[in-house]
Amino acid sequence: MAFTLRSVKVPPNSASLEEARGRVFDFFRQACRSIPTIMDIYNLDDVVTKSQLRSTIASEIRKNTHVTNPKVIDMLLFKGMEELNNIVEHAKQRHHIIGQYVLGRQGLAQDLDTKDEGVSDFLKNFYKSNYF
Amino acid sequence: MGLGSLASRTLTSSRILSSQYSRFRPIVTKPGLQSPDASSAAAAAAQPEPTPPPPRKPVGGARVELTNPDDTIEVFVDGFPVKIPKGMTVLQACEIAGVDIPRFCYHSRLSIAGNCRMCLVEVEKSPKPVASCAMPALPGMKIKTDTALAKKAREGVMEFLLMNHPLDCPICDQGGECDLQDQSMAFGSDRGRFTEMKRSVVDKNLGPLVKTVMTRCIQCTRCVRFATEVAGVQDLGMLGRGSGEEIGTYVEKLMTSELSGNVIDICPVGALTSKPFAFKARNWELKGTETIDVTDAVGSNIRIDSRGPEVMRIIPRLNEDINEEWISDKTRFCYDGLKRQRLNDPMIRDANGRFKAVSWRDALAVVAEVALKVKPEEIVGVAGKLSDAESMMALKDLLNNMGSNNVWCEGTGTNPNADLRYRYLMNSSIAGLEKADVFLLVGTQPRVEAAMVNARIRKTVRASNAKVGYIGPPTDFNYDCQHLGTGPQTILEIAEGRHPFSSAIANAKNPAIIVGAGLFERDDKDAIFAAVEAIAKKGNVIRPDWNGFNVLLLNASQAAALDLGLVPESSNSIDSAKFLYLMGADDLNLDKVPADAFVVYQGHHGDRSVYRANVILPSAAFSEKEGTYENTEGCTQQTLPAVPTVGDARDDWKIIRALSEVAGIRLPYDTLAAIRSRMSTVAPNLLRTDEKELAAFGPTLSPDCTQKIDSTPFKAAVENFYMTDSITRASKIMAQCSAMLLKK
Repeated sequence: MAFTLRSVKVPPNSASLEEARGRVFDFFRQACRSIPTIMDIYNLDDVVTKSQLRSTIASEIRKNTHVTNPKVIDMLLFKGMEELNNIVEHAKQRHHIIGQYVLGRQGLAQDLDTKDEGVSDFLKNFYKSNYF
Repeated sequence: MGLGSLASRTLTSSRILSSQYSRFRPIVTKPGLQSPDASSAAAAAAQPEPTPPPPRKPVGGARVELTNPDDTIEVFVDGFPVKIPKGMTVLQACEIAGVDIPRFCYHSRLSIAGNCRMCLVEVEKSPKPVASCAMPALPGMKIKTDTALAKKAREGVMEFLLMNHPLDCPICDQGGECDLQDQSMAFGSDRGRFTEMKRSVVDKNLGPLVKTVMTRCIQCTRCVRFATEVAGVQDLGMLGRGSGEEIGTYVEKLMTSELSGNVIDICPVGALTSKPFAFKARNWELKGTETIDVTDAVGSNIRIDSRGPEVMRIIPRLNEDINEEWISDKTRFCYDGLKRQRLNDPMIRDANGRFKAVSWRDALAVVAEVALKVKPEEIVGVAGKLSDAESMMALKDLLNNMGSNNVWCEGTGTNPNADLRYRYLMNSSIAGLEKADVFLLVGTQPRVEAAMVNARIRKTVRASNAKVGYIGPPTDFNYDCQHLGTGPQTILEIAEGRHPFSSAIANAKNPAIIVGAGLFERDDKDAIFAAVEAIAKKGNVIRPDWNGFNVLLLNASQAAALDLGLVPESSNSIDSAKFLYLMGADDLNLDKVPADAFVVYQGHHGDRSVYRANVILPSAAFSEKEGTYENTEGCTQQTLPAVPTVGDARDDWKIIRALSEVAGIRLPYDTLAAIRSRMSTVAPNLLRTDEKELAAFGPTLSPDCTQKIDSTPFKAAVENFYMTDSITRASKIMAQCSAMLLKK
């Protein structure tokens, strides 16, 4: 039902980069609109907030900002839709969502306090772990 | 016929199958097959000249030293000619020729027993197969190792050995690395004929280190020969005769020798195995990492076998110059100390004296804050026994940048002298000790300080009947040794020639004097060294071709520390210290530290010094870091990480580099290569691994000494062989050993 509806929405061709951009934003809005369903299906109320999930989705999309080929953008969108469909139709499970989209997201929290200014890469890596 | 159609079918298929086609040849009768005489005549007539066989390489890529090129004989092994020195056995000749003959009782470093009979080979013109390990190779001998007779002999011997051997493979620790398993697969027959009852033997208690299941013993007597020859203790022997033979100690005695763990490696079957390692792992699931041992100054080469994050056992590696194939018990069994009492989080002592775990940021910030407030002459740094050269370099750089020059290493004494290298190295090198014929041991007990050096001295004494004189507190040796005296008075007597031993030194070709590093702690050490050098001068010990003046160090870090120049400015800087940086220093006397001094402890075990520390910074142990160590003879070696670090611990030099940055005086190296290039500006020999850097100058440059010798007798530098540093003190096995095996 719902998943067949979604998968139709991304035709294989975008004419230009702007059209692909528009499609990306549409996808983002669609994903954000399905966040309440996702929180309900997988009982994520104690684990994460809606705004955190929105930031996560945004950061995943932002990982591909360097792509300029509209066909590649279409392909990435197709994969994104597929993933979104899988999540919404409960084909995944709670631990998948938690492991893939909730944990390990410190990069989001930009810890740009004064204490980290002017600090070398060595020290940053040192604080994280012994192996760098 | 049918074969032909098959052949034609394969012809049309791909090229890969064409090789199969060459195997199908039509069966056709030949003139030679019709009568035997015709075939041999045809064969003899049509034999082409055989191309000379390629030269064979020795087994294991070994190098053969032909000491006397004129004294070689030629033998033929399986038709291949090979040149060997005179006096070699048939087995050694076959090894040079590249043929590995199976054996159980023969070991290249022990005497020949010849009782297992597995090495039987066929020699032409000999009525019976000969035991190749015992038979000397005669010129022109034709040795055949792969004939039916030799194979039948091996199968027969294997059958006999397996007759009384229990079916213990699933529960035996030696499974997977068992000589009996491997050789029965390679050389044994495929079926057994034994239907009677097997005999069993009662197990002997040899101590907390060696587990014995004497039913599995095949009576090869390797352990007996090792104990008598290499270890020097005649604990083990063969009791009884025939099928009732048992190996054991006749009285209920534990194996107290410090080399007792090596019988575990030597035993070809699972009769003698490692008790701490019993039932813990199989050898194929272990990953071996080749590193260096740091529990003493010898730097024995070891292989750490680990499974995941855990060290399971330690095995010796072959290094002819340092430890041959043996390691001491302390080296072998200290690994379980690596799992106990480990520091894994930075900690700060709060107001009511309890430690609280904090993050690295906070810990380094606190330390840097205190360090910058203290005056430079009140900053003191001490490197520990197990510190590697990189971290000692970083410590010295950091403290020098902070304005202090009071850095030293544990065990180097109150005012160490690092100017002349010959004064703190083993100048004749450990392998060179084999050439000596008189030993004078001054204030050192090599059996507890460096067991491998002791093994080498014993080897020399056994081979060439060398004389050994010892000055120090009464100890027992495993070779004949004259106890000359207990204190410095004896040195003076020998130096002046009044002692009978001085004539022994004067008449010796290569005399060796070994001074113990325990003398560094004495106040009159310059005077004692001057006296020993007087002996050396009189006895012509230091010559261009032979330098017999040796110093036996106690810790793995001393040589590198003195090479890097960790020499303090003032000798009693601890009394007035306000900021004390202990990098693994656990054997320091902390009574004199002022009560308001801020003590930082950077180490991997919560040993003695932690109780006084204000901040704890966890660092990596030797099995978890890549570090450079220099042993007592000046050979630089490297450890490799076998397991990951525990918890939040970091490498020592990285902690110091991070601390320097937080304190504002950033050190200029970020990577291991960078700190090594910094080390090369100070001591370039520390970068040349596995190479010895000999001392450049001799006693001609040492200044004259006007100190008076104090006549207090020498003390033992090591009281408890099994517990000398933080790792061994945390180890349960070492605690058991020191409770059960030390002589009271």
